[in-house]
Amino acid sequence: MMGGYGKVLAVIGCLMLAGCQTTPSRMPEAEPLPAAACQWPVTEQTGLVQVVGALERRGFLVRDTDTALGVVSAERTRRVLYHNAVSPRPRLGGFLFGGSGGHVSSGIGLGVGFGGGPGYDEATRLERVSVQVGKQQVTVSRDIQLFDWRGQQVESRTASDGRFCQTLRDAMAGEGSSS
Amino acid sequence: MTARMRVMTLMVVLLLGPLAGCASTPAPVEPLSGRLAGSVSEALDASVRLLLERGYVVRHADGDLGRVEAVLARWPGYRIRLQVEPAERGSRIEMTAFQGGHPLPPALLQPWLMTLRSRLGAG
Repeated sequence: MMGGYGKVLAVIGCLMLAGCQTTPSRMPEAEPLPAAACQWPVTEQTGLVQVVGALERRGFLVRDTDTALGVVSAERTRRVLYHNAVSPRPRLGGFLFGGSGGHVSSGIGLGVGFGGGPGYDEATRLERVSVQVGKQQVTVSRDIQLFDWRGQQVESRTASDGRFCQTLRDAMAGEGSSS
Repeated sequence: MTARMRVMTLMVVLLLGPLAGCASTPAPVEPLSGRLAGSVSEALDASVRLLLERGYVVRHADGDLGRVEAVLARWPGYRIRLQVEPAERGSRIEMTAFQGGHPLPPALLQPWLMTLRSRLGAG
């Protein structure tokens, strides 16, 4: 009898350790850290005007700028489908048919189906970007968040990858040459 | 009191104990403050660069107010708030970090302050 309680106590003890958020031992950073391509030296063609132009052309909405600091923060949202394997929403389906057989007979059929299962759900993908045009170099940082149809956050990650930064850099160079 | 009842009481206490710990009154926000060699704009410039290099995304930056606010999209969400003011021979920075809305111990930001100092030069 006591052995059973002892096991329960041990489980509770483990849950206590797992339940509370722990304070990190060092200041958290992006994992992995932003790619090397997310920093490049400033040229005459890389100004805030080019940054804003390149971002807006890629569908971003500028949310905050500071010309003195050379910082632009922008975001864009996109509706996406994501594979919801964690919390399937219940689905209810109905089927109804009826008919009248003239003078002889009439009938009605009703079917109701209820089921749940992992499927694809619509979600909103929010992408936030900050670009700093400093004295010597341009620095870019990005993150991506995913919100499901309830508005709950299902994903949150840092996304300062080389491909995005390289595309942005090329777009800025294009802006610089066209203006 | 039987042994079984005593164990039951202990279990109830153990179950309620963690709840009391999590719902404690929020600790007062204590920023890490320090002197920097550069001017306010130089300090803000270096701070924003450091934040972006570490993957933080700036939500709000204002050079006139000397304020920067940046977030990190890692669970449960981190936020850093910077306030830079002019001081004698340089500037003074105050940094506050939050983890999911709760302030983090200011000592965690000490390495960041050291990095900023080394980049702005000793003064």
